Amino acid sequence: MTVTLRQMKQMLLGGADCVISARDELTDIDSRFGDADHGITMEKIMTALKNAVRSFGEDGTIKDLMSGISMAVMTINGGSAVPLWTTLFDGLAEGAPDRIEMSEEEFRSMFRSGYETLFEISRAKKGDKTMMDALEPAVDALCAAAEGLADMIKASAGAAEAGARETANFAARFGRAKNYGERSIGTPDAGAMSMRYFFQGLLEGLKKDQ
Amino acid sequence: MKMKKFLNDPNTLTAEMLEGLALAHGNIVDVLPGNLVVSKALKDAGRVTIVTLGGTGHEPALSGFVGDGMLDIAVAGDVFAAPNPQSCFEAIKLADKGKGVLFLVLNHAGDMLTGNMTMKMCKQAGLNVRKVVTQEDISNAPRSNADDRRGLAGAVPLYHIAAAAAKEGRSLDEVADLSQRYADSMATIAVAVRCATHPASGASFGDLGDEDMEIGMGQHGEGGGGRQPMKTARETIAIMANALVKDIPLQKGDRAFVMVNGSGATTLMEQLILYKDCVRYLESLGIEVVANMVGEILTVQEQAGFQLNIAKWNDEFLRFWNTPARTIAFNK
Repeated sequence: MTVTLRQMKQMLLGGADCVISARDELTDIDSRFGDADHGITMEKIMTALKNAVRSFGEDGTIKDLMSGISMAVMTINGGSAVPLWTTLFDGLAEGAPDRIEMSEEEFRSMFRSGYETLFEISRAKKGDKTMMDALEPAVDALCAAAEGLADMIKASAGAAEAGARETANFAARFGRAKNYGERSIGTPDAGAMSMRYFFQGLLEGLKKDQ
Repeated sequence: MKMKKFLNDPNTLTAEMLEGLALAHGNIVDVLPGNLVVSKALKDAGRVTIVTLGGTGHEPALSGFVGDGMLDIAVAGDVFAAPNPQSCFEAIKLADKGKGVLFLVLNHAGDMLTGNMTMKMCKQAGLNVRKVVTQEDISNAPRSNADDRRGLAGAVPLYHIAAAAAKEGRSLDEVADLSQRYADSMATIAVAVRCATHPASGASFGDLGDEDMEIGMGQHGEGGGGRQPMKTARETIAIMANALVKDIPLQKGDRAFVMVNGSGATTLMEQLILYKDCVRYLESLGIEVVANMVGEILTVQEQAGFQLNIAKWNDEFLRFWNTPARTIAFNK
């Protein structure tokens, strides 16, 4: 079974919509231990992603799509989320094949590359209360899941959700929230939550496509 | 409570602010695409130039310190959010007059990520850039763990000192080393008594109630752990100045620079009372205050409170400080 460029675009649009619809919740979480703008920033990033997907030329490859999104996100002013999401899509582009379809194995290594590239600059590990708490289990689940795109995405969305929820138990060690340390326990991490909604939206986008 | 601010559209706050800045101070700066606030003095600069980046909502910082004798370019992001690396890279390219560029970054997660990506791009392009990070907030980490220290208003006097050295014809390495020495010589601590609201979302940064203040508050209202009942100016200065003196450290016979930076809703009357209390406190320790800044330098919207910055000064810093500057918010 292959994953097509068209499916990839539908999934990404679904991911973006899901994050955008959680805007107020994300801002509210960020107002407790951040600076009350995460939802706004993510809306800007996801709108740029959607524009990049919609305006993507007919003759581009999956690699081009991911690079285009990375470039589009990079020109936004949105604090740390911008370089982080730029880097994630950089990594996805690095791992993506220069074709309009890919095998499930290539799909898996594309996400693996996204995670690894992001880890290189964020250095945050599971338990540090960051977006990585949702991304790492999501990519692990995607790689471990049985054959079938829908099952892979479903497993990753579930793992991202569990990972994001779990951040409520951790004390922040990165970003502005780290200044609150133990006091941040009880509130999930805004960046993990937006990553969770992104994976949930990938699933919704895929369903829409079928 | 509904936010009471004179705004038009939450999506265009930075753009409208920069348009106003260009209209009000068009004799000192140009505002170019990518939110680049560029000094008119850059055009004829045959010297090391200085670029910084940072979020908006902190006015007059950072754009207010662009001009002759301070920053050549400030790259503005959005409210409390760092600009993108592409704009910073463009700014450094524009600033480079053949003598290299000093790239000053305040230690905040977004600023650092953008700064590091920018440096990577500059390296690939073969640009001559040195990055110096200011990280002087003593409230959230010891000096030995500087990477965890936030960059607060203490960077502002450094803009002038570095620019004066550049004007004197110092090389990029000399200016960068001087800047690093300056960054290492200072310390800041902040206190808040009332939190601000985010001008785009309207959300409050926190609630300190009617009775409390929080020592160690960062410049986006992020906590610092020192929540306690409100105290007098003198008592508050004694706590904060004492912590700074120990951290730097300063001792009898030393000379110091003192900054009282109002966060947005603390009156100039209070700032002057606080400054006086700080000078007197340091005098009692045998420390002489040789230079100062008192006023709103790096604000946090309508947060009430202030940052106290103290630096250990020597002849070199003092000599560079006593040179002319003509910027939007600082003139000498």
